[in-house]
Amino acid sequence: MASRRRMLLKVIILGDSGVGKTSLMNQYVNRKFSNQYKATIGADFLTKEVQFEDRLFTLQIWDTAGQERFQSLGVAFYRGADCCVLVYDVNVMKSFDNLNNWREEFLIQASPSDPENFPFVVLGNKIDVDGGNSRVVSEKKAKAWCASKGNIPYFETSAKEGFNVDDAFQCIAKNALKNEPEEEIYLPDTIDVAGGGRQQRSTGCEC
Amino acid sequence: MTSETSPSVSGDEASDPKPSPEDQLASLALSETDGPASGSPRENNRHNEIESAEEEVQTNSAAPGLAVVENSGEAVRRGRIGGVLWARTNSEPEADGPESPSSSGYAGERGSSSASSAGSGIYEIAEVRDDEVVDGVSDSQAAWVPGKRHVDEDDASISWRKRKKHYFILSNSGKPIYSRHGDEHKLAGFSATLQAIISFVENGGDRVKLVRAGKHQVVFLVKGPIYLVCISCTEEPYESLRMQLELIYGQMLLILTKSVNRCFEKNPKFDMTPLLGGTDVVFSSLIHSFSWNPATFLHAYTCLPLAYATRQAAGAILQDVADSGVLFAILMCKHKVISLVGAQKASLHPDDILLLSNFVMASESFRTSESFSPICLPRYNPMAFLYAYVHYFDIDTYLMLLTTSSEAFYHLKDCRIRIEMVLLKSSVLSEIQRSMLDGGMRVEELPLDPLPRSGSFSPHLGQHTLPTDSPDGFRELYGGIGGPAGLWHFIYRSIFLDQYVSSEFSAPISSPRQQKRLYRAYQKLYASMHERGIGPHKTQFRRDENYVLLCWVTQDFELYAAFDPLADKALAIKTCNRVCQWVKDVENEIFLLGASPFSW
Ligand SMILES: Nc1nc2c(ncn2[C@@H]2O[C@H](COP(=O)(O)OP(=O)(O)OP(=O)(O)O)[C@@H](O)[C@H]2O)c(=O)[nH]1
Ligand SMILES: [Mg+2]
Repeated sequence: MASRRRMLLKVIILGDSGVGKTSLMNQYVNRKFSNQYKATIGADFLTKEVQFEDRLFTLQIWDTAGQERFQSLGVAFYRGADCCVLVYDVNVMKSFDNLNNWREEFLIQASPSDPENFPFVVLGNKIDVDGGNSRVVSEKKAKAWCASKGNIPYFETSAKEGFNVDDAFQCIAKNALKNEPEEEIYLPDTIDVAGGGRQQRSTGCEC
Repeated sequence: MTSETSPSVSGDEASDPKPSPEDQLASLALSETDGPASGSPRENNRHNEIESAEEEVQTNSAAPGLAVVENSGEAVRRGRIGGVLWARTNSEPEADGPESPSSSGYAGERGSSSASSAGSGIYEIAEVRDDEVVDGVSDSQAAWVPGKRHVDEDDASISWRKRKKHYFILSNSGKPIYSRHGDEHKLAGFSATLQAIISFVENGGDRVKLVRAGKHQVVFLVKGPIYLVCISCTEEPYESLRMQLELIYGQMLLILTKSVNRCFEKNPKFDMTPLLGGTDVVFSSLIHSFSWNPATFLHAYTCLPLAYATRQAAGAILQDVADSGVLFAILMCKHKVISLVGAQKASLHPDDILLLSNFVMASESFRTSESFSPICLPRYNPMAFLYAYVHYFDIDTYLMLLTTSSEAFYHLKDCRIRIEMVLLKSSVLSEIQRSMLDGGMRVEELPLDPLPRSGSFSPHLGQHTLPTDSPDGFRELYGGIGGPAGLWHFIYRSIFLDQYVSSEFSAPISSPRQQKRLYRAYQKLYASMHERGIGPHKTQFRRDENYVLLCWVTQDFELYAAFDPLADKALAIKTCNRVCQWVKDVENEIFLLGASPFSW
């Protein structure tokens, strides 16, 4: 409850299992990468303080499990997200095809007030693999999809080499911020006693 | 283990009280009509004798470990959910790297290890080191420093983990709103973990109320979009901790009203933190009162002892003002009520008094000048703001005038001036000062035998009694410590009045630490007497190495008394009768009678 106004942004990372969500987060937050695969169980939470345009804010990153069996957790997790990051593996077509499902599932479960303009960011990860030779999803194709979904910002990344990771998260933070609604005056009811009892007079919270 | 829909509240009580043959209850009956005649005769004729009231600590290392804390690097706070709650896999054999110090860097494993006896060492140290132990307990609260402490801590800090009691408020999207210890933002990951647990269980159509992990209890309270969590290793009963969360929620409503819910409906991402800016002290002082103020579990308020005429004089002028469009007029001295009146049929709940006075006393700015502030009385109307005019007459004595009109400042200021004039003229203010110095009822002054008196007590409660030669002979036995029969302390709660009176602390309950321990014992006693499902207990007598505790509940009052652990049972019961008689004799002075705004 700091009196200084510091914003907290909730960021959800979604995508198929194994595309590198946890690796991206670890690279961003810890500057670490491991070749070993450790499936995320349920969800993992990290926070990172970020300075952005003279403002300090906190990213609360929800790294979710891509595995099928955890998908029922959605509703519980997605509520109140400020930004949703969709990750796929440029070397796996299926993971790209699934982006649509992830996005739609998110919009259903989180039911944001303005779904059309909810900020997403798409990351095509593992561009380092095999010097790019095993890649099956072209940048063009990915960008086309992003454009069709309301110009979602797109980044090609390598969690392994740390390529583009910072830029991607910088953009994620920026978009999360952008979506912050205007602050309005907090205005609860008052009581009209003269009117007999507890009728509420004013229109209430305008925030 | 995901949820306990019916919480397993303390397994300490021998919850199946047997009628004891050497039952002394006959002597419990007051010589008045109202004795314990309430309840069934069978019920009246039994004691729940509990020889050892020590709470058993669950040491089962197989207990479902719930770990919501995970260590990690400097700038990074991480929590994790999954393994324990809904899956347990061993597919994660190693830690993330050097930043996670142990190879069991995962929630499940951590959790079960801290729940096991192996991990208990840490928490034992905590008992000694936690500065809660030295929190001021007396009214003076001298030792207690308001405001948030340990802001530099987060869930990765050892010190943070060792704190005996954590309270959190968060939104249902996992955004931190308040944390007693540590910086909310640094605890964002932890907060997310809490939300995930609650929401996960909620999604299954269930509710998580309590999780036990070794010595720790994690208590959850869901209030629409607001989640409240307490993590405690203090061994307080579940019910008490839940009530504390209810009060914290009430305090939040007092500041913001329930209209915050609408903000969340409109915008689930809504960040409440700015709306609560600067109210840290209000919450921390409320939480502090959970370890010294009986009002927090009795749901009753207490009055400053005053001569009947003095209180009447104060009440009369408040009534006068209330008739001029003031909803409530409350005159208080610290947390004690001097007088209060309400307009028409408006009634004021004791919890609202507690929360309001806490809010006023904790907010330093009220002291510096007369103030006008929107507040909400959650028990009166949780949706709406009232407006409070607050003015301090002296360092401890303050007036609160509540109105529904946001434009009433000048009217209320005039009211206050009128009130102040009357209080000065009738020397109420100086009487208040004197009462502060004199204190309230003292066990040493407990009258020997009910004498036929007509309620005129002066100059001070019980001072006319003979202080020596107790026929009970207990003075000598206990080296003159405490009152007769080893009586150390008592609390009497009048159900009819929603008020309680507590005796002054004296030797041997003199240190803040002892006072807090007794407070906790009462709290536990209260919880066990009011436990749902077990039927109303009428009396309870329990002896442990610290005290003999005696509780007696009738339709009209509840008496909680603490005696020397060696006290004789029959004498203790007799003494309780005398306490009740004494309270009745002086009720004119210790309670606010009549002209009460309560609607019954
Ligand atoms: N070469 C290469 N490997 C990567 C990259 N990112 C991740 N990996 C590897 O891919 C595997 C899976 O990465 P994770 O980050 O655990 O995948 P995830 O998306 O979190 O998977 P779930 O937790 O199951 O949803 C690991 O073995 C990583 O080492 C990358 O950019 N390049
Ligand atoms: Mg993962």
